[in-house]
Amino acid sequence: MGKRVLVVDDAAFMRMMIKDILTKNGYEIAGEAENGQKAVELYQQLKPDVVTMDITMPEMDGIAAVKAIKKIDPDAKIIMCSAMGQQLMVMEAIQAGAKDFIVKPFQQERVLQALQKVLGQ
Amino acid sequence: MVLPAPGGGAEVGVWEQLNAFHLDVLKEIGNIGAGNAATALAALLNQRIEMSVPRAGVLPLQEIPSLIGQEEDPVACVEFGVTGRAPGKIMFLLTRDSAFSLIDFLLGQSLGTTQKLDDMGVSVLTEVGNILTGSFLTAFAEFSRLEFIPSVPAFAFDMLGAVLSSAFLEGGYFADQALVIETQFYSPEAQISGYFFLIPEEQALSVIMESLGVNF
Repeated sequence: MGKRVLVVDDAAFMRMMIKDILTKNGYEIAGEAENGQKAVELYQQLKPDVVTMDITMPEMDGIAAVKAIKKIDPDAKIIMCSAMGQQLMVMEAIQAGAKDFIVKPFQQERVLQALQKVLGQ
Repeated sequence: MVLPAPGGGAEVGVWEQLNAFHLDVLKEIGNIGAGNAATALAALLNQRIEMSVPRAGVLPLQEIPSLIGQEEDPVACVEFGVTGRAPGKIMFLLTRDSAFSLIDFLLGQSLGTTQKLDDMGVSVLTEVGNILTGSFLTAFAEFSRLEFIPSVPAFAFDMLGAVLSSAFLEGGYFADQALVIETQFYSPEAQISGYFFLIPEEQALSVIMESLGVNF
């Protein structure tokens, strides 16, 4: 049974791209969310093994969502996946509890490598 | 091409203090930022992306459309507000044909498939704008050691004149001029040509110059 991933990004196109990479590589899509608020709700409902999280989103941004999810589940495994690669933001995300930070555009291998590392495979 | 120096207006505003050296600095910001954005676009499309020499200058708002085309030309525009100590606006613009080609390309469809915009098409364009803006701002941030925080993108698909005037109106632009740093991207194979505009607000100028060690 594949590991379950919650995909969070406000762009339907990016969610589609990420889901495609995941399903072709043996991962199961637990759910998807278009903003941080929805991500937090779905995390509680679905209890995924790992989350991919964008930063710039309406309602609640990705870093706030990471903090909220970590409050619910300190062991939550979250990988940031964002167009923003500024050092301050990367640091902020890691300090909030994200395990890795992928800058878009990314190669498929980068995503898979991040998932494998975070899931300890 | 050198954009006209600012003129007219009763008071000496911030824009009038920009000299040729300052404009050169701003062009270089455009060059570094857009260069990184072009690299990101090339990676996304897996195609070679050409970039024009950036232009920087202060223009009356009604002349900005002419940098791209005619006021009635249909364009797609992805716009970001940027906050931080050097606030402004970023716009990624594509003519309709380029927008449709970009969508076809990224969705793996043959060129010519997209004839009108649907939700997925809008999402594709918005996300490309997001990625390019992210690259631009990351490079700019490293260069200037400033932090730039982009908003959630706004998307518009309308006539060029309408798109630009509403972007400026919404942004509360009460001035009749704006500083525009403009670059053009072109992918010959994918037949996609896009424009990237950085529009710093007046108060951003001294912050940007100071961070680069330039007197202003």
